[in-house]
Amino acid sequence: MNIAQVFTQTLKQSGKKLVVLLPFSWLLVFFLIPFLIVLQISFSESRIAQPPFTDLTSFVDDVYTISLNLFNYIDLYEYDLYLSGYISSVKIAFTATTLCLLIGYPIAYAIAKLPPHTRNLALMLVILPSWTSFLIRIYAWIGILKQNGLINNALMGLGVIEQPLEILHTPIAVYIGIVYAYLPFMVLPIYTNLVKHDSSLLEAAADLGARPIGSFFKITLPLSVSGIVAGSMLVFIPSVGEFVIPELLGGPDTLMIGKLLWSEFFNARNWPGASAVAVVMLLLLILPITIFQRYQAKDLEEQANEH
Amino acid sequence: MKAIKKLALATACAVATTGAMAEEKVLNVYNWSDYIAEDTLANFEAETGIKVVYDVFDSNDVLEAKLLSGKTGYDVVVPSATFLARQIQAGVFQPLDRSKLPQYENLDAPMMEKLTSHDPDNAYSIPYLWGTTGIGINVGQVTERLGEDMPADSWDLVFNPEIAAKLADCGITMLDAWDEVVPTVLNYLGEDPKSTDTALLNGKVKDTLSAVRPHIRYFHSSQYINDLANGDVCVTVGWSGDILQAMDRADEAENGVEVSYVIPKEGAGLWFDMLAIPKDASHPENAHKFLDFLMRKDVMAGISNYVWYPNAIPGSKEMIDEEITSDPSIYPTPEVEKNLFTFPVYAPKFDRAGSRMWTALKSGK
Amino acid sequence: MSTNKTNKLSWAILLGGFAFLYLPIFILIVYSFNESRLVTVWAGFSTKWYGELFEDEQMMSAVWMSLKIAFLSASAAVALGTLAAIALVRSGAFKGKTLFTGMITAPLVMPEVITGLSLLLLFVTMSQVLGWPEGRGSLTIWIAHTTFNMAYVAVVVSARLRELDRRLEEAAMDLGANKFQVFIYITLPIVAPALLAGWLLAFTLSLDDLVIASFVSGPGSTTLPMVVFSSVRLGVSPKINALATLLVLAVAMAAFIAWWFMRRNELQRQKEIRSAFSQ
Repeated sequence: MNIAQVFTQTLKQSGKKLVVLLPFSWLLVFFLIPFLIVLQISFSESRIAQPPFTDLTSFVDDVYTISLNLFNYIDLYEYDLYLSGYISSVKIAFTATTLCLLIGYPIAYAIAKLPPHTRNLALMLVILPSWTSFLIRIYAWIGILKQNGLINNALMGLGVIEQPLEILHTPIAVYIGIVYAYLPFMVLPIYTNLVKHDSSLLEAAADLGARPIGSFFKITLPLSVSGIVAGSMLVFIPSVGEFVIPELLGGPDTLMIGKLLWSEFFNARNWPGASAVAVVMLLLLILPITIFQRYQAKDLEEQANEH
Repeated sequence: MKAIKKLALATACAVATTGAMAEEKVLNVYNWSDYIAEDTLANFEAETGIKVVYDVFDSNDVLEAKLLSGKTGYDVVVPSATFLARQIQAGVFQPLDRSKLPQYENLDAPMMEKLTSHDPDNAYSIPYLWGTTGIGINVGQVTERLGEDMPADSWDLVFNPEIAAKLADCGITMLDAWDEVVPTVLNYLGEDPKSTDTALLNGKVKDTLSAVRPHIRYFHSSQYINDLANGDVCVTVGWSGDILQAMDRADEAENGVEVSYVIPKEGAGLWFDMLAIPKDASHPENAHKFLDFLMRKDVMAGISNYVWYPNAIPGSKEMIDEEITSDPSIYPTPEVEKNLFTFPVYAPKFDRAGSRMWTALKSGK
Repeated sequence: MSTNKTNKLSWAILLGGFAFLYLPIFILIVYSFNESRLVTVWAGFSTKWYGELFEDEQMMSAVWMSLKIAFLSASAAVALGTLAAIALVRSGAFKGKTLFTGMITAPLVMPEVITGLSLLLLFVTMSQVLGWPEGRGSLTIWIAHTTFNMAYVAVVVSARLRELDRRLEEAAMDLGANKFQVFIYITLPIVAPALLAGWLLAFTLSLDDLVIASFVSGPGSTTLPMVVFSSVRLGVSPKINALATLLVLAVAMAAFIAWWFMRRNELQRQKEIRSAFSQ
């Protein structure tokens, strides 16, 4: 082996290592370590100082002590507002995800049925709104939903209602906001799944006399479960921690954990408490996250087997 | 190659000169949004040659979070006095060097005396603007619902459940700042607004607020300006200047909405926004220059004329529009002034109790 | 007969869906031409807000700041995310792969508040311990955006890489191409649409982010969403509607051009295949 070969060999080796090392270390520094810091702070105590929490470790009289303070977690458990906050976040996210699925599935299905070149155009039309500022679109919804906004003015003008409906600052507005913002995340995975289906299956079923509705529930729907799960998780998980939508569209009684965390951090200046809220929220989300990853892995295996 | 050498030389020179000049000509200011006259910064830049990087915030909370995490990068910040008091305890500011503030004597001496309860010896801060926390009213909608003899000069408008119920459909809003609302309620109930009795907080105060809670549309510290001007809400507990701004906007839009601001007869809270320099500011010299600039009579008169808030420089009053100085809701008359109280500074324990009571109240639990 | 009915139904669904998605955008566009400052009152046609938009220094500088950060973080995210995808799909097993896979997907589902808070605390700690980053500003926003964006890019690109037929690459190598050439001439063109999609997604996410940026921003690094968010104070100015309209227009045009090119390529390819068969 000559030197050049050794050189290229090492280069290849190190190149391969670099491919792993670069993103790995980036995530380590900017994702894992921050999370560990949050974990650490959740075990400290808040105080009036800069930074506003105590050190876990102290070095007094040659004794190195580490003190883990469970107060924030006990407090979290005892203070019932947080419990109801978690429950109501999950409820709101679940309802919004269901609505999203009910609206998103038919859209994905209709797109998958289109001729191939129109499909891409339709798909692009679904994604296009997300490419404009999210906040601006949410503000547009405020204008539509508010007391003397578009919907109320239209309904009152038509004489359907006499008193304006209160929609803004209610849970309904939050549902509309979440469904609106996350609809593409539901449509895309379902569409990707549906478009792969073998249409000959449906034709065979039709030949055997199955009605379209029957074969939809017996064949298409079961086959698209992995798309449904992926889409639902992509909507559900971020909705649980949503802050902007309940803050802008929700009312004061729309209790969501993202808002509670925000107020614990900013209004109560309780950084350790806010960190504990974050840790518990993440623990809460581990189950849906694993479900999501498992289905993704399964989907990919199937794809791999096809090749 | 030559070009590179030249560039290196130039950079070296630049470094050398900035070193000699002590401070680069930059100043980072973090102030409330819409809280300065349109030409103030340009005038300061023209006079001193210092480039101002001006960022804005919307709540004391966001400012405090930044200050407490350290190294904000800002040279001048504008917290409210109650927040400032806690931030001084946390040690985030540097003491002011009065030898660099020749205009210091322009400040209102009695006011400075009052402020020592927040900033002992006035060591760290000077007042910028001040105001009251009162009630903004959509006159037309409220009169329509309550008749001519409405208690327009009383906190009954928001804290009396019977009256609040009548106003619920046109919209009542409240500041999302418990540390101002709680003292206001205490004062309304005839208690000491500075009380830090937790039993009182979770008892009478919470009961009063809970009783009107179903009639309150939202808790927010800035959204009400626009909503009041548009006629989307009709009664709001808010800051004087903001409500006056709503008044101005309604006039401008000619939408038939008449907004007025009242300091209720029971009395109202007085707040101060303070100028201070963070400990780790990188341009303290420039910051002192800016503070000094903001104590000049003509400068502060210009700002008050623009934002409709009174300032702490008595000498500027004659340069402020009479429309503003003669308005008792902006410059309170001596009788009204007797009923005004400053918002207290809370210890951490009461702080937590208060903010939890507030969160629970807002969510209707 | 029944297919006809289903067709009609699916058209109705699509129309309904698009109406829902485009209603707010339609409203934005209409009111950006409104004479009145108030969003709910129509007072005649005017283009004055477009003029005022370009004169508003604060907003324009926020727009530039946002575009700059979005461009840089999307580009960095594509580089890092593609490497991550290659590591995931092609590197076989390596130490810490489970952790790596977990870390790649976790930012996708991490609530923004947690990401923002944790990164702020990291930057604070780092500047205390290492003295870097010295303060917070566009650099720290860029780092934060790159981190969550690379996760999205990695997911998009790895999906494409898995679909990629390895035999193509092997065939090229058999014909004497080296690894680098295979990557440039075979792998890259096939993965390119995914890279583009990933870049666009990252660009959008960065442009839209309010929560994380508010946590990690510093002096002179106010982004567009921060300006928009604080403008609720005095109501959404029609200037913002005008800005949104311009954004929609630019995006729609870019999307349409992309679609047209894709369509043309597709037709071209079909033609080539057909002619290849006929020969």
